[in-house]
Amino acid sequence: MTGSPPPGLLPIETRDAFDGLAGARVLVVDDNRINRHLLLALLERGGITLIEQAEDGHDALVRIERFKPDLVLLDLMMPQMDGFEMCRRLRADPRWKSLPVLVQSSLNRAEDRARAFAAGATDYVTKPINAVELLARVRIHLRKRTMLRDLQQYHSCTEAELELARAMQARMLPGPDRLAELEAATGIAIHTHFAPSSELGGDFWGIDRLPDGRVAVYLVDFSGHGVGAALNTFRLDAICRQIGSTELSPAEFLAAVNRRLCGLLPCGQFATMLTGVIDPAAGLFHYASAGSTAPMMWHPGDEAPRLGDGSGLPLGLLASASYDSRLMPMPPGARLFLYSDAAIEIPIGGEDSHEVLDEYGLATLFARRLQEPDDAALLSGLLADLAATGPIDDDLTALLLTRRE
Amino acid sequence: MDYGIEVRDQEAVVRLRGRLTFNDHAKLRTLIGEMGQNKLKRQVLDLSSLEFVDSAGIGMLLIAREEMDRAAKQFVLRGAAGQVKRVLTVAQIAKIVPMED
Repeated sequence: MTGSPPPGLLPIETRDAFDGLAGARVLVVDDNRINRHLLLALLERGGITLIEQAEDGHDALVRIERFKPDLVLLDLMMPQMDGFEMCRRLRADPRWKSLPVLVQSSLNRAEDRARAFAAGATDYVTKPINAVELLARVRIHLRKRTMLRDLQQYHSCTEAELELARAMQARMLPGPDRLAELEAATGIAIHTHFAPSSELGGDFWGIDRLPDGRVAVYLVDFSGHGVGAALNTFRLDAICRQIGSTELSPAEFLAAVNRRLCGLLPCGQFATMLTGVIDPAAGLFHYASAGSTAPMMWHPGDEAPRLGDGSGLPLGLLASASYDSRLMPMPPGARLFLYSDAAIEIPIGGEDSHEVLDEYGLATLFARRLQEPDDAALLSGLLADLAATGPIDDDLTALLLTRRE
Repeated sequence: MDYGIEVRDQEAVVRLRGRLTFNDHAKLRTLIGEMGQNKLKRQVLDLSSLEFVDSAGIGMLLIAREEMDRAAKQFVLRGAAGQVKRVLTVAQIAKIVPMED
Protein backbone atom coordinates (compact mmCIF):
# COMPACT_ATOMS: atom_id res chain seq x y z
CA MET A 1 0.00 0.00 0.00
CA THR A 2 1.26 3.44 -0.91
CA GLY A 3 -1.01 5.20 1.57
CA SER A 4 -3.68 7.03 -0.40
CA PRO A 5 -4.98 10.29 1.12
CA PRO A 6 -8.33 10.16 2.96
CA PRO A 7 -11.31 10.81 0.63
CA GLY A 8 -11.93 14.31 1.95
CA LEU A 9 -8.56 15.52 0.72
CA LEU A 10 -8.89 14.18 -2.83
CA PRO A 11 -9.73 16.60 -5.64
CA ILE A 12 -13.46 16.59 -6.31
CA GLU A 13 -13.13 14.68 -9.60
CA THR A 14 -11.25 11.81 -8.00
CA ARG A 15 -13.67 11.62 -5.12
CA ASP A 16 -16.56 11.20 -7.55
CA ALA A 17 -14.70 8.49 -9.34
CA PHE A 18 -14.69 6.69 -6.01
CA ASP A 19 -18.41 7.26 -5.68
CA GLY A 20 -18.98 5.65 -9.05
CA LEU A 21 -20.37 8.91 -10.49
CA ALA A 22 -17.60 9.50 -13.01
CA GLY A 23 -19.50 7.85 -15.85
CA ALA A 24 -22.87 9.33 -14.88
CA ARG A 25 -24.91 10.87 -17.73
CA VAL A 26 -27.04 13.91 -16.99
CA LEU A 27 -29.56 15.60 -19.28
CA VAL A 28 -30.20 19.28 -18.60
CA VAL A 29 -33.61 20.46 -19.83
CA ASP A 30 -34.21 24.21 -19.83
CA ASP A 31 -35.46 26.64 -22.50
CA ASN A 32 -33.09 29.34 -21.28
CA ARG A 33 -29.60 29.00 -22.72
CA ILE A 34 -27.96 30.94 -19.87
CA ASN A 35 -29.60 28.71 -17.31
CA ARG A 36 -28.41 25.61 -19.19
CA HIS A 37 -24.85 26.87 -19.25
CA LEU A 38 -24.99 27.70 -15.60
CA LEU A 39 -26.17 24.21 -14.73
CA LEU A 40 -23.60 22.70 -17.10
CA ALA A 41 -20.74 24.54 -15.41
CA LEU A 42 -22.05 23.55 -12.03
CA LEU A 43 -22.27 19.85 -12.92
CA GLU A 44 -18.80 19.91 -14.45
CA ARG A 45 -17.45 21.40 -11.28
CA GLY A 46 -19.04 18.47 -9.50
CA GLY A 47 -17.09 16.06 -11.68
CA ILE A 48 -19.85 15.10 -14.09
CA THR A 49 -18.62 15.22 -17.67
CA LEU A 50 -21.27 13.40 -19.72
CA ILE A 51 -23.88 16.11 -20.06
CA GLU A 52 -26.41 16.78 -22.80
CA GLN A 53 -28.82 19.68 -23.19
CA ALA A 54 -32.41 19.91 -24.35
CA GLU A 55 -34.50 23.03 -25.00
CA ASP A 56 -37.96 21.77 -24.19
CA GLY A 57 -39.96 18.66 -23.32
CA HIS A 58 -40.16 17.37 -26.88
CA ASP A 59 -36.47 17.82 -27.46
CA ALA A 60 -35.77 16.11 -24.11
CA LEU A 61 -37.85 13.00 -24.92
CA VAL A 62 -36.03 12.61 -28.25
CA ARG A 63 -32.61 13.01 -26.67
CA ILE A 64 -33.39 10.64 -23.79
CA GLU A 65 -33.84 7.82 -26.30
CA ARG A 66 -30.35 8.31 -27.69
CA PHE A 67 -28.44 9.65 -24.67
CA LYS A 68 -29.92 7.30 -22.07
CA PRO A 69 -29.30 9.61 -19.09
CA ASP A 70 -28.90 8.53 -15.48
CA LEU A 71 -30.55 11.73 -14.28
CA VAL A 72 -32.65 14.53 -15.76
CA LEU A 73 -32.46 18.10 -14.50
CA LEU A 74 -35.81 19.48 -15.56
CA ASP A 75 -37.23 22.97 -15.87
CA LEU A 76 -41.02 23.21 -15.72
CA MET A 77 -42.00 26.32 -17.69
CA MET A 78 -41.00 25.71 -21.29
CA PRO A 79 -42.56 26.29 -24.73
CA GLN A 80 -43.69 23.34 -26.94
CA MET A 81 -43.95 20.78 -24.16
CA ASP A 82 -43.57 21.85 -20.54
CA GLY A 83 -41.84 19.90 -17.81
CA PHE A 84 -45.04 18.47 -16.31
CA GLU A 85 -46.13 16.93 -19.58
CA MET A 86 -42.65 15.64 -20.38
CA CYS A 87 -42.43 13.99 -17.00
CA ARG A 88 -45.81 12.30 -17.42
CA ARG A 89 -44.85 10.94 -20.84
CA LEU A 90 -41.51 9.76 -19.54
CA ARG A 91 -43.11 7.82 -16.71
CA ALA A 92 -45.62 6.22 -19.05
CA ASP A 93 -42.69 4.30 -20.55
CA PRO A 94 -41.68 1.44 -18.24
CA ARG A 95 -38.03 1.80 -19.27
CA TRP A 96 -37.84 5.21 -17.58
CA LYS A 97 -39.87 4.43 -14.50
CA SER A 98 -36.96 4.69 -12.09
CA LEU A 99 -34.96 7.40 -13.91
CA PRO A 100 -34.42 10.21 -11.37
CA VAL A 101 -35.97 13.50 -12.48
CA LEU A 102 -34.79 16.47 -10.45
CA VAL A 103 -37.00 19.46 -11.12
CA GLN A 104 -35.40 22.90 -10.94
CA SER A 105 -37.97 25.62 -11.29
CA SER A 106 -38.81 29.15 -10.29
CA LEU A 107 -42.33 27.99 -9.47
CA ASN A 108 -42.26 27.73 -5.72
CA ARG A 109 -45.84 27.36 -4.55
CA ALA A 110 -46.81 24.18 -2.75
CA GLU A 111 -49.34 23.37 -5.53
CA ASP A 112 -46.59 23.54 -8.16
CA ARG A 113 -44.45 21.11 -6.22
CA ALA A 114 -47.40 18.80 -5.69
CA ARG A 115 -48.22 18.91 -9.41
CA ALA A 116 -44.61 18.13 -10.32
CA PHE A 117 -44.49 15.15 -7.98
CA ALA A 118 -47.85 13.95 -9.27
CA ALA A 119 -46.42 14.08 -12.80
CA GLY A 120 -43.60 11.80 -11.65
CA ALA A 121 -40.79 14.08 -10.47
CA THR A 122 -38.29 12.53 -8.06
CA ASP A 123 -37.15 15.70 -6.34
CA TYR A 124 -37.59 19.48 -6.52
CA VAL A 125 -35.35 22.50 -6.02
CA THR A 126 -36.38 26.10 -6.58
CA LYS A 127 -34.55 28.79 -8.46
CA PRO A 128 -32.40 30.69 -7.77
CA ILE A 129 -30.24 27.59 -7.62
CA ASN A 130 -28.13 26.96 -4.57
CA ALA A 131 -25.08 25.31 -6.12
CA VAL A 132 -24.09 23.23 -3.12
CA GLU A 133 -27.59 21.93 -2.54
CA LEU A 134 -28.19 21.10 -6.19
CA LEU A 135 -24.93 19.19 -6.49
CA ALA A 136 -25.64 17.33 -3.26
CA ARG A 137 -29.04 16.26 -4.54
CA VAL A 138 -27.65 15.28 -7.93
CA ARG A 139 -25.07 13.11 -6.18
CA ILE A 140 -27.66 11.49 -3.92
CA HIS A 141 -29.91 10.58 -6.84
CA LEU A 142 -27.07 9.28 -8.98
CA ARG A 143 -25.71 7.21 -6.13
CA LYS A 144 -29.16 5.77 -5.44
CA ARG A 145 -29.50 4.94 -9.11
CA THR A 146 -26.13 3.20 -9.13
CA MET A 147 -27.07 1.17 -6.08
CA LEU A 148 -30.44 0.27 -7.55
CA ARG A 149 -28.79 -0.78 -10.80
CA ASP A 150 -26.24 -2.92 -8.92
CA LEU A 151 -29.04 -4.52 -7.00
CA GLN A 152 -31.06 -5.20 -10.14
CA GLN A 153 -28.01 -6.62 -11.85
CA TYR A 154 -27.28 -8.84 -8.88
CA HIS A 155 -30.88 -9.93 -8.81
CA SER A 156 -31.10 -10.86 -12.47
CA CYS A 157 -27.68 -12.53 -12.31
CA THR A 158 -28.77 -14.62 -9.35
CA GLU A 159 -32.03 -15.44 -11.05
CA ALA A 160 -30.22 -16.65 -14.15
CA GLU A 161 -27.86 -18.76 -12.08
CA LEU A 162 -30.69 -20.32 -10.13
CA GLU A 163 -32.48 -21.10 -13.36
CA LEU A 164 -29.36 -22.78 -14.71
CA ALA A 165 -28.98 -24.78 -11.51
CA ARG A 166 -32.64 -25.76 -11.66
CA ALA A 167 -32.19 -27.03 -15.20
CA MET A 168 -29.10 -28.97 -14.12
CA GLN A 169 -31.01 -30.54 -11.29
CA ALA A 170 -33.88 -31.46 -13.59
CA ARG A 171 -31.42 -33.11 -15.98
CA MET A 172 -30.14 -35.36 -13.17
CA LEU A 173 -33.58 -36.94 -13.03
CA PRO A 174 -34.49 -39.68 -15.50
CA GLY A 175 -36.25 -38.18 -18.51
CA PRO A 176 -39.32 -39.50 -20.36
CA ASP A 177 -37.18 -41.37 -22.91
CA ARG A 178 -35.44 -43.40 -20.25
CA LEU A 179 -38.69 -44.14 -18.47
CA ALA A 180 -40.30 -45.33 -21.72
CA GLU A 181 -37.32 -47.52 -22.46
CA LEU A 182 -37.42 -48.94 -18.95
CA GLU A 183 -41.10 -49.74 -19.23
CA ALA A 184 -40.59 -51.51 -22.56
CA ALA A 185 -37.74 -53.58 -21.16
CA THR A 186 -39.06 -54.46 -17.72
CA GLY A 187 -42.85 -53.96 -17.72
CA ILE A 188 -42.52 -51.39 -14.91
CA ALA A 189 -44.32 -48.16 -15.84
CA ILE A 190 -43.28 -45.02 -13.98
CA HIS A 191 -45.19 -41.79 -13.58
CA THR A 192 -43.60 -38.95 -11.70
CA HIS A 193 -44.15 -35.52 -10.22
CA PHE A 194 -41.31 -33.26 -9.10
CA ALA A 195 -42.03 -29.79 -7.75
CA PRO A 196 -39.45 -27.86 -5.71
CA SER A 197 -41.08 -25.32 -3.38
CA SER A 198 -38.62 -22.62 -4.47
CA GLU A 199 -36.32 -22.43 -7.52
CA LEU A 200 -34.23 -25.27 -6.18
CA GLY A 201 -35.14 -28.16 -3.99
CA GLY A 202 -33.71 -30.85 -1.77
CA ASP A 203 -35.69 -33.70 -3.31
CA PHE A 204 -34.16 -36.11 -5.74
CA TRP A 205 -34.96 -39.51 -7.19
CA GLY A 206 -33.45 -42.03 -9.55
CA ILE A 207 -34.13 -45.29 -11.24
CA ASP A 208 -31.87 -47.93 -12.74
CA ARG A 209 -32.30 -51.07 -14.77
CA LEU A 210 -30.44 -53.95 -13.19
CA PRO A 211 -29.42 -57.18 -14.92
CA ASP A 212 -32.06 -59.98 -14.99
CA GLY A 213 -35.03 -57.62 -15.34
CA ARG A 214 -34.93 -56.02 -11.92
CA VAL A 215 -35.43 -52.30 -11.36
CA ALA A 216 -33.74 -50.23 -8.66
CA VAL A 217 -35.46 -47.04 -7.49
CA TYR A 218 -34.57 -44.45 -4.86
CA LEU A 219 -36.11 -41.33 -3.42
CA VAL A 220 -34.14 -38.80 -1.38
CA ASP A 221 -35.21 -35.77 0.61
CA PHE A 222 -32.57 -33.50 2.12
CA SER A 223 -33.48 -31.55 5.23
CA GLY A 224 -34.47 -27.99 4.45
CA HIS A 225 -34.98 -26.70 0.93
CA GLY A 226 -33.43 -24.08 -1.33
CA VAL A 227 -29.88 -23.80 -2.57
CA GLY A 228 -28.14 -25.64 0.27
CA ALA A 229 -30.40 -28.66 0.04
CA ALA A 230 -30.11 -28.64 -3.76
CA LEU A 231 -26.31 -28.70 -3.65
CA ASN A 232 -26.56 -31.77 -1.46
CA THR A 233 -28.65 -33.53 -4.12
CA PHE A 234 -25.72 -33.15 -6.54
CA ARG A 235 -23.39 -34.65 -3.95
CA LEU A 236 -25.73 -37.54 -3.43
CA ASP A 237 -26.11 -38.15 -7.15
CA ALA A 238 -22.33 -38.46 -7.42
CA ILE A 239 -22.18 -40.80 -4.41
CA CYS A 240 -24.93 -43.06 -5.79
CA ARG A 241 -23.16 -43.32 -9.15
CA GLN A 242 -19.88 -44.07 -7.43
CA ILE A 243 -21.35 -46.87 -5.34
CA GLY A 244 -23.30 -48.33 -8.25
CA SER A 245 -26.46 -50.23 -7.56
CA THR A 246 -25.92 -53.70 -9.00
CA GLU A 247 -24.33 -55.79 -6.28
CA LEU A 248 -25.53 -54.34 -3.00
CA SER A 249 -28.86 -55.04 -1.32
CA PRO A 250 -30.96 -51.92 -0.61
CA ALA A 251 -29.94 -52.03 3.06
CA GLU A 252 -26.26 -52.32 2.20
CA PHE A 253 -26.61 -49.55 -0.35
CA LEU A 254 -28.13 -47.19 2.25
CA ALA A 255 -25.38 -48.00 4.74
CA ALA A 256 -22.74 -47.26 2.09
CA VAL A 257 -24.35 -43.93 1.12
CA ASN A 258 -24.69 -43.02 4.80
CA ARG A 259 -21.01 -43.65 5.54
CA ARG A 260 -19.98 -41.33 2.72
CA LEU A 261 -22.51 -38.60 3.62
CA CYS A 262 -21.52 -38.59 7.30
CA GLY A 263 -18.15 -37.09 6.44
CA LEU A 264 -19.69 -34.44 4.19
CA LEU A 265 -22.76 -33.03 5.92
CA PRO A 266 -22.41 -30.43 8.68
CA CYS A 267 -24.37 -30.88 11.88
CA GLY A 268 -28.09 -30.26 11.46
CA GLN A 269 -28.19 -31.42 7.83
CA PHE A 270 -29.30 -34.88 6.88
CA ALA A 271 -31.29 -36.75 4.28
CA THR A 272 -34.06 -39.28 4.36
CA MET A 273 -33.90 -41.92 1.67
CA LEU A 274 -35.79 -44.94 0.52
CA THR A 275 -34.14 -47.32 -1.85
CA GLY A 276 -35.63 -50.48 -3.25
CA VAL A 277 -35.46 -53.13 -5.94
CA ILE A 278 -38.48 -54.39 -7.83
CA ASP A 279 -37.99 -58.02 -8.76
CA PRO A 280 -40.75 -58.92 -11.24
CA ALA A 281 -39.67 -62.55 -11.54
CA ALA A 282 -40.06 -63.09 -7.79
CA GLY A 283 -43.00 -60.67 -7.52
CA LEU A 284 -41.30 -58.74 -4.72
CA PHE A 285 -40.24 -55.25 -3.74
CA HIS A 286 -37.13 -55.31 -1.53
CA TYR A 287 -36.44 -52.05 0.19
CA ALA A 288 -34.67 -50.24 2.99
CA SER A 289 -35.41 -46.84 4.45
CA ALA A 290 -33.50 -44.13 6.26
CA GLY A 291 -36.37 -42.25 7.87
CA SER A 292 -38.22 -41.91 4.60
CA THR A 293 -41.98 -41.99 4.16
CA ALA A 294 -43.80 -45.33 4.27
CA PRO A 295 -44.05 -46.85 0.78
CA MET A 296 -47.60 -47.68 -0.29
CA MET A 297 -48.35 -50.84 -2.25
CA TRP A 298 -51.67 -51.66 -3.85
CA HIS A 299 -52.58 -55.10 -5.15
CA PRO A 300 -55.32 -55.53 -7.76
CA GLY A 301 -58.57 -56.38 -5.99
CA ASP A 302 -57.59 -54.65 -2.73
CA GLU A 303 -59.64 -51.74 -1.48
CA ALA A 304 -56.76 -49.83 -0.01
CA PRO A 305 -52.99 -49.71 -0.29
CA ARG A 306 -50.77 -51.54 2.19
CA LEU A 307 -48.36 -49.35 4.13
CA GLY A 308 -44.72 -50.32 4.32
CA ASP A 309 -42.26 -49.25 7.01
CA GLY A 310 -40.18 -46.12 6.44
CA SER A 311 -38.41 -46.04 9.78
CA GLY A 312 -34.64 -45.83 9.95
CA LEU A 313 -32.00 -43.33 11.00
CA PRO A 314 -31.68 -40.56 8.38
CA LEU A 315 -28.46 -40.41 6.38
CA GLY A 316 -25.57 -38.31 7.58
CA LEU A 317 -26.15 -38.54 11.33
CA LEU A 318 -24.26 -41.63 12.49
CA ALA A 319 -21.57 -43.29 10.38
CA SER A 320 -22.09 -46.70 11.97
CA ALA A 321 -25.85 -46.81 11.25
CA SER A 322 -27.21 -49.98 9.70
CA TYR A 323 -30.52 -50.44 7.94
CA ASP A 324 -33.18 -53.15 7.91
CA SER A 325 -34.01 -55.09 4.77
CA ARG A 326 -37.76 -55.06 4.19
CA LEU A 327 -40.06 -56.76 1.75
CA MET A 328 -43.45 -56.26 0.14
CA PRO A 329 -45.10 -58.58 -2.38
CA MET A 330 -45.60 -56.93 -5.76
CA PRO A 331 -47.77 -59.10 -8.01
CA PRO A 332 -48.61 -58.23 -11.63
CA GLY A 333 -50.84 -55.14 -11.78
CA ALA A 334 -49.58 -53.89 -8.42
CA ARG A 335 -48.95 -50.20 -7.93
CA LEU A 336 -46.19 -48.82 -5.74
CA PHE A 337 -46.43 -45.22 -4.53
CA LEU A 338 -43.40 -43.33 -3.18
CA TYR A 339 -43.55 -39.69 -2.08
CA SER A 340 -41.62 -37.05 -0.15
CA ASP A 341 -42.81 -35.98 3.29
CA ALA A 342 -44.39 -32.79 1.90
CA ALA A 343 -47.36 -35.02 1.00
CA ILE A 344 -47.98 -35.99 4.63
CA GLU A 345 -47.23 -32.61 6.20
CA ILE A 346 -50.10 -30.73 4.61
CA PRO A 347 -51.97 -28.86 7.35
CA ILE A 348 -55.63 -29.82 7.78
CA GLY A 349 -58.39 -28.55 10.04
CA GLY A 350 -57.98 -24.80 9.50
CA GLU A 351 -55.98 -21.91 10.91
CA ASP A 352 -55.52 -22.82 14.55
CA SER A 353 -55.07 -26.53 14.05
CA HIS A 354 -51.62 -28.07 13.89
CA GLU A 355 -52.95 -31.31 12.49
CA VAL A 356 -51.47 -32.62 9.27
CA LEU A 357 -52.71 -35.05 6.64
CA ASP A 358 -50.33 -37.89 7.74
CA GLU A 359 -49.78 -41.15 5.87
CA TYR A 360 -53.17 -42.64 6.74
CA GLY A 361 -54.86 -39.58 5.31
CA LEU A 362 -52.72 -39.90 2.20
CA ALA A 363 -53.52 -43.63 1.93
CA THR A 364 -57.23 -42.77 2.09
CA LEU A 365 -56.88 -40.27 -0.76
CA PHE A 366 -54.88 -42.85 -2.72
CA ALA A 367 -57.49 -45.55 -2.10
CA ARG A 368 -60.23 -43.36 -3.59
CA ARG A 369 -58.30 -43.08 -6.85
CA LEU A 370 -57.34 -46.73 -7.24
CA GLN A 371 -60.22 -47.58 -9.58
CA GLU A 372 -58.68 -45.23 -12.15
CA PRO A 373 -57.09 -47.55 -14.76
CA ASP A 374 -54.86 -44.87 -16.23
CA ASP A 375 -51.75 -44.30 -14.10
CA ALA A 376 -51.07 -40.78 -15.30
CA ALA A 377 -54.66 -39.78 -14.54
CA LEU A 378 -54.43 -41.45 -11.12
CA LEU A 379 -51.30 -39.54 -10.20
CA SER A 380 -52.57 -36.17 -11.40
CA GLY A 381 -55.89 -36.80 -9.63
CA LEU A 382 -54.09 -37.61 -6.39
CA LEU A 383 -51.92 -34.51 -6.69
CA ALA A 384 -55.04 -32.42 -7.23
CA ASP A 385 -56.48 -33.96 -4.04
CA LEU A 386 -53.33 -32.97 -2.16
CA ALA A 387 -53.42 -29.42 -3.50
CA ALA A 388 -57.07 -29.19 -2.43
CA THR A 389 -56.19 -30.46 1.06
CA GLY A 390 -54.04 -27.49 2.01
CA PRO A 391 -50.93 -25.48 1.21
CA ILE A 392 -47.83 -27.52 0.33
CA ASP A 393 -44.79 -25.55 1.47
CA ASP A 394 -42.00 -28.04 0.85
CA ASP A 395 -40.54 -29.82 -2.17
CA LEU A 396 -43.01 -32.45 -3.38
CA THR A 397 -41.92 -35.52 -5.25
CA ALA A 398 -44.24 -38.41 -6.07
CA LEU A 399 -43.46 -41.62 -7.96
CA LEU A 400 -46.06 -44.12 -9.10
CA LEU A 401 -44.59 -47.41 -10.29
CA THR A 402 -46.95 -49.91 -11.85
CA ARG A 403 -46.12 -53.49 -12.69
CA ARG A 404 -47.82 -54.20 -16.01
CA GLU A 405 -49.89 -57.35 -16.14
CA MET B 1 -42.80 -21.85 17.96
CA ASP B 2 -42.28 -20.31 21.34
CA TYR B 3 -40.67 -21.64 24.50
CA GLY B 4 -40.21 -21.27 28.22
CA ILE B 5 -37.27 -22.33 30.35
CA GLU B 6 -37.74 -23.66 33.86
CA VAL B 7 -34.60 -24.19 35.92
CA ARG B 8 -35.13 -26.95 38.51
CA ASP B 9 -32.78 -28.55 41.05
CA GLN B 10 -31.20 -31.12 38.81
CA GLU B 11 -32.20 -30.08 35.33
CA ALA B 12 -33.24 -27.22 33.08
CA VAL B 13 -36.50 -27.94 31.27
CA VAL B 14 -37.20 -26.11 28.04
CA ARG B 15 -40.78 -26.45 26.92
CA LEU B 16 -41.36 -25.93 23.20
CA ARG B 17 -44.83 -24.96 22.00
CA GLY B 18 -46.48 -24.87 18.57
CA ARG B 19 -44.67 -25.72 15.33
CA LEU B 20 -40.94 -26.20 14.93
CA THR B 21 -39.93 -25.50 11.32
CA PHE B 22 -37.25 -23.81 9.27
CA ASN B 23 -38.71 -20.40 10.22
CA ASP B 24 -37.68 -20.93 13.84
CA HIS B 25 -34.00 -21.17 12.99
CA ALA B 26 -32.98 -17.90 14.66
CA LYS B 27 -35.15 -18.53 17.70
CA LEU B 28 -33.72 -21.98 18.25
CA ARG B 29 -30.20 -20.58 17.94
CA THR B 30 -31.00 -18.13 20.75
CA LEU B 31 -32.51 -20.93 22.78
CA ILE B 32 -29.44 -23.14 22.37
CA GLY B 33 -27.33 -20.21 23.57
CA GLU B 34 -29.52 -19.86 26.68
CA MET B 35 -29.28 -23.57 27.37
CA GLY B 36 -25.51 -23.38 27.21
CA GLN B 37 -25.49 -20.51 29.69
CA ASN B 38 -27.34 -22.02 32.62
CA LYS B 39 -25.15 -24.05 34.91
CA LEU B 40 -27.18 -27.26 35.00
CA LYS B 41 -25.66 -30.35 33.54
CA ARG B 42 -28.91 -31.86 32.39
CA GLN B 43 -30.88 -30.05 29.68
CA VAL B 44 -34.32 -31.41 28.88
CA LEU B 45 -36.34 -30.39 25.84
CA ASP B 46 -39.96 -30.95 26.73
CA LEU B 47 -41.80 -31.61 23.47
CA SER B 48 -45.21 -32.42 24.94
CA SER B 49 -46.68 -29.09 23.78
CA LEU B 50 -44.98 -29.19 20.41
CA GLU B 51 -47.55 -30.00 17.76
CA PHE B 52 -45.54 -30.22 14.55
CA VAL B 53 -41.95 -30.66 13.48
CA ASP B 54 -40.54 -30.83 9.94
CA SER B 55 -37.15 -32.06 8.74
CA ALA B 56 -35.53 -28.67 9.30
CA GLY B 57 -36.90 -28.76 12.86
CA ILE B 58 -35.31 -32.15 13.46
CA GLY B 59 -32.06 -30.75 12.08
CA MET B 60 -32.22 -28.01 14.70
CA LEU B 61 -32.81 -30.53 17.49
CA LEU B 62 -29.68 -32.34 16.29
CA ILE B 63 -27.72 -29.09 16.33
CA ALA B 64 -28.89 -28.58 19.92
CA ARG B 65 -27.66 -32.06 20.77
CA GLU B 66 -24.25 -31.32 19.28
CA GLU B 67 -23.95 -27.99 21.12
CA MET B 68 -24.86 -29.65 24.44
CA ASP B 69 -22.29 -32.35 23.71
CA ARG B 70 -19.68 -29.68 23.19
CA ALA B 71 -20.67 -27.99 26.45
CA ALA B 72 -20.44 -31.40 28.18
CA LYS B 73 -24.12 -31.32 29.09
CA GLN B 74 -26.64 -34.12 28.98
CA PHE B 75 -29.38 -33.59 26.43
CA VAL B 76 -32.76 -35.31 26.63
CA LEU B 77 -35.92 -35.14 24.54
CA ARG B 78 -39.05 -35.65 26.62
CA GLY B 79 -42.74 -36.19 26.07
CA ALA B 80 -43.03 -36.18 22.27
CA ALA B 81 -46.59 -36.90 21.12
CA GLY B 82 -48.67 -37.00 17.97
CA GLN B 83 -47.00 -35.99 14.71
CA VAL B 84 -43.76 -35.09 16.54
CA LYS B 85 -43.53 -38.54 18.06
CA ARG B 86 -44.29 -40.19 14.71
CA VAL B 87 -41.57 -38.22 12.94
CA LEU B 88 -38.96 -38.85 15.65
CA THR B 89 -39.86 -42.54 15.67
CA VAL B 90 -39.62 -42.91 11.90
CA ALA B 91 -36.23 -41.20 11.98
CA GLN B 92 -35.16 -43.41 14.91
CA ILE B 93 -33.81 -40.35 16.69
CA ALA B 94 -33.75 -42.37 19.92
CA LYS B 95 -30.65 -44.06 18.55
CA ILE B 96 -28.67 -40.86 18.92
CA VAL B 97 -30.55 -38.75 21.49
CA PRO B 98 -31.99 -40.12 24.75
CA MET B 99 -35.79 -39.91 24.69
CA GLU B 100 -38.15 -40.05 27.67
CA ASP B 101 -41.92 -40.32 27.79
